[in-house]
Amino acid sequence: MIFSKEKLIVEYTVEKCKSCNLERKRKFKEGDYLFCDASKCESCDGVMRIEKIFGETIEQ
Amino acid sequence: MVDFTNIDFDQLFGFGDDSNPLMMLIWILPIVLFIFYGQRIQLQVTSGEIKKAIKKLDAFRTESRSELIDYIKKNMRPKEDPTKRIDRFLDYFTIMPVDMDPNGIVDKIRHTVRAREDYSRNHVKSISPETDEVELSKVITLLEIATSLHMIYKVINHMYLTAKKQNNYPLILPLQMILPFIMEEAEAITKAIPAFKKGQPVGDGIGPMVVGKMMLDTKKETVAFQTVASETEFDGRKLTLMKAEGPGSTVGRPGDAVESLISKNKPDIIIMVDAALKMEGEESAITAQGFGAAIGGIGTERFQIEEIATKNNIPIFAIVIKQSIKEAITLMTKEIANQADNVRNQIHEMIQENTKPEQHVLLIGVGNTMGVPQ
Repeated sequence: MIFSKEKLIVEYTVEKCKSCNLERKRKFKEGDYLFCDASKCESCDGVMRIEKIFGETIEQ
Repeated sequence: MVDFTNIDFDQLFGFGDDSNPLMMLIWILPIVLFIFYGQRIQLQVTSGEIKKAIKKLDAFRTESRSELIDYIKKNMRPKEDPTKRIDRFLDYFTIMPVDMDPNGIVDKIRHTVRAREDYSRNHVKSISPETDEVELSKVITLLEIATSLHMIYKVINHMYLTAKKQNNYPLILPLQMILPFIMEEAEAITKAIPAFKKGQPVGDGIGPMVVGKMMLDTKKETVAFQTVASETEFDGRKLTLMKAEGPGSTVGRPGDAVESLISKNKPDIIIMVDAALKMEGEESAITAQGFGAAIGGIGTERFQIEEIATKNNIPIFAIVIKQSIKEAITLMTKEIANQADNVRNQIHEMIQENTKPEQHVLLIGVGNTMGVPQ
């Protein structure tokens, strides 16, 4: 369609701290798998686990 | 200057003068033309639209083929150029068993489909034998995508060319009717490629995602080909959790796995969690509960599970997460991913409502487990 906006899917990874349940959303990196240990928690220094990987559609 | 305010329409169209032979011709000629050549004109108009769609289908199949070959070259690092072998795979077909006598047809279909799966796996592996299982499963899925798009293009092009060759308008009608659905599916299949290449969970993976999280920190064992199970407890009930073995791209063999698990320890109920196609007008990512085996595919796995459950008198409960065909095979949407905790709560409620403490529940996460370990 001439007037339809182009849709872009942005991939995100959500990490959740196993100790304090703090959630952090970041852009998806290749090699990310669900439930694997990711970075260290900024709040309690605990281990963060990948909780969700999803795409969000943005209209341009 | 032409005076447009002073046009005599009666004179222009010959309304006032029935005896004008030129005007009569102007009216009669198109009628005669449409009587004899109407279908051909329609065929030309319709075939223009179909041609555009076929061009798109051709682009889809070419894109999927080159993506597959590039992926193999980059990730499997084969010693020889895999292009020739891949092109041979793309033309493989499956002849379904004769159904004139339907007795025993499910076993025959299962045998045929599994033989094809085993053949594809072995031959893809032979391109580079050192490839690990996760990478292999991705390549097999990409190969299935390329094969499906190749077949869709060939069938649609065949139907179109046959109608054109025979100059037969009615022949092109069914094609015109099914084409929007075919295009929707082909576009969805093409858009699935990036998710499988990157190892991301797809919408269909919501069932394995829900059960996979419950399986973390439990002892997993392989119960059937590419299918794992583990045991845990919930509110005094024994839970057996089962899903396809992630994070590779596979749906496992839930039929065989259920048969194996039930032969050892009969559960009191079975709960199946799966993605389901939403109806038009329904919102995406809504959940629904029901009865019966929630599992898609060609039907052989569902048949096997239903048969075992019936023989052993085990009720089957289902929780489905509704989504479109595109959502099911492309990167999981935020809405679907956000339903995981809700579905887990629904499973817990279902267990409490339908079983008593000390009873045994078999919970199955059905779907493609790409990017979803356990």
